[in-house]
Amino acid sequence: MFEATLAFQALINGASVALVYILVALGLTLIFSIMGIINFAHGEFYMLGGFAAYYLAQVAGMNYIAMLAVTFLAVCAFGFCLERLLFEPLRAQPLSGFIASLGLLLVLQAGVSILFGVTDKRVDSPFPGILHGYGLVISRERLFVMMASAVLIALLYCFLRWSKQGLALRAAAQEWEAAAVLGINVNRISGLAFGMGCALAAAAGALLAPVFYVTPTMGAQPLVKAFIIVIIGGMGSLPGAVAGGAFLGLLESIGPMFFSPATVDLLGFGAIVVLLLVRPTGLVKS
Amino acid sequence: MHAFILIAALLCATTWTAAAANETLKIGVIGPMSGPAAQWGVEIARGAEMKAEEINAAGGLKIGNATYDIRTIPYDHKANAAEATTVANRLVFQDKVSYIVGNSIGATTTAAQTITEPNKVLFLFVSWGKQSLGPQYPYSFRETFSDVEVVEPFYRWLKEQKKINTVALLDVNDQSGKTTGASMVEAAKALELKILADEYFDRALTDFYPLFNRILAMKPDYVDLGSVPPGTAGLLLKQLHEMGYAGTKGWVSGAILEGAIKIAGPEAADGLLAPWSANLEGANTPPAVKEIVAKYQKKYGEPAGNYVVDNYVALDIVTQAMKAAGTTDTEKVVGHLAGKKFDSAWGPVVVGGKGTYGVDHQFLRPITITQYQNGKMVDVGSAMPRDLMAK
Repeated sequence: MFEATLAFQALINGASVALVYILVALGLTLIFSIMGIINFAHGEFYMLGGFAAYYLAQVAGMNYIAMLAVTFLAVCAFGFCLERLLFEPLRAQPLSGFIASLGLLLVLQAGVSILFGVTDKRVDSPFPGILHGYGLVISRERLFVMMASAVLIALLYCFLRWSKQGLALRAAAQEWEAAAVLGINVNRISGLAFGMGCALAAAAGALLAPVFYVTPTMGAQPLVKAFIIVIIGGMGSLPGAVAGGAFLGLLESIGPMFFSPATVDLLGFGAIVVLLLVRPTGLVKS
Repeated sequence: MHAFILIAALLCATTWTAAAANETLKIGVIGPMSGPAAQWGVEIARGAEMKAEEINAAGGLKIGNATYDIRTIPYDHKANAAEATTVANRLVFQDKVSYIVGNSIGATTTAAQTITEPNKVLFLFVSWGKQSLGPQYPYSFRETFSDVEVVEPFYRWLKEQKKINTVALLDVNDQSGKTTGASMVEAAKALELKILADEYFDRALTDFYPLFNRILAMKPDYVDLGSVPPGTAGLLLKQLHEMGYAGTKGWVSGAILEGAIKIAGPEAADGLLAPWSANLEGANTPPAVKEIVAKYQKKYGEPAGNYVVDNYVALDIVTQAMKAAGTTDTEKVVGHLAGKKFDSAWGPVVVGGKGTYGVDHQFLRPITITQYQNGKMVDVGSAMPRDLMAK
């Protein structure tokens, strides 16, 4: 009974983390599937989301849900503009796109450090309190993060599955030139993919800001996790990102029941190596 | 003729100005000024900056026949040992400093010492670890308590006052964490406390639910946050509270309690103990420290933590030693620091530690144990470092 409670608690912990990992990884893989570039600045959009939560909700006093919507739309628009101005001219040179994303990482991080300083910032929880039951605990804010992440993932699925723009995105991801020949404005689609990818990362950052804290370097760890997930799930595969996120979230929550945190990290990277050897395309082929 | 007089007058004025102008004494400051440990580095840099500005405003530092304006040069090493070597190199060979006053994080101190020691650069730091001081490091001094000074007296106090029998020890998985962890384990064993967990994690980790899921099932009487930085300590406290832990909790390296309380929130941080004289505005806090804290708040708009005062005091004590030596030559200044007693904002500070380190290079003063209670910091006990008692 005691062990079962521990295991259930681990599953709850795993689910709360996995859903956020999935959001960040979905953004990364969406960008890769359309543009073919690995966006090294992806973690910085997560960080921008965290600082948006800090500034809009904590400092300016905006309603938390409204802040989430504003952050998503603003970062989406910012990402769209960045793609058109920075990445679109470099589309024929993937290496330059990669370098540009590294430069963007440094610019965003330094910019936020200058604007807000380098010390950690707290964002008050919009849903304080802890829920107890059957020997299990979960904070209300984590429960909200889980629910909001699940809603965002579902909305993304609906958008890609049923909307005209989503159909165009999927077409461009499958065959860029054929999509262009069929009259799809692939430049606009590319901007949309980059904007939405960045906005998903920003939403994750804004959601987790009250759970953890906000600091200019907070994007590094989610970026590494997103890479692991995308590689495990399959580069460019959206279902793969979901599977990879679930795998990593559960590994990180159940692993510490038996091993030290350092060993669990090692297991995560070990899983990538083994998977790449056995199944180089990842869990789900793009 | 008029032009000649004007030029002569200008030349005289220039010569007079040059003679009157103070020389510049550059003081390097290194630390983590970005990343999870940024608060430490920022406080260290600002503490030195405040003292330097104070000295300059008073007309400069008079040593022998020369008067110096102090210019601090801060560099961020991002808590990374390789970066620490780079910035120490830059300070010593590019900026030509002979003094580095301030650094935190043990691994970066060890890295910087590979540059400072061979070049006879006097290096003061707040980072922990017994290995950073010794006869092999004649130019290195620790300007505040370390694990060696605080852990054993603190645990003895905990056992006597809080009646703890079982402990869970947490720390970051690097040199600082391992060194502190070793001190915590040693002290716990010496006091016959049962160690239920001795866990190390990555400095960037933010989600401790999985770790606490296992540790809290063992029901420890006491959880120690080790040498984690303030932001991480705040997250640990918050998540301990969320997972229902109601036992005693402490933070042996809790020099900047405000940073952790800000992140954790007052409810989750309530009851936190730290053996660090962390209550900078308490009844027992020296007025000079309160003055520094007030000035810091006014200047930077943030509450000051211990490292502000520690590095302010370190620069004060080093400049006192320079005056006593009558030179800025580090070889001679070392002789006027080691084993000496200084008046400072903290009160009397003794540079001792020979019994532990083999050299008198450790700044020593009595320890006050602080607890965060109902939104306020309260002094709840005191202890004396072993080497200070020997003095």
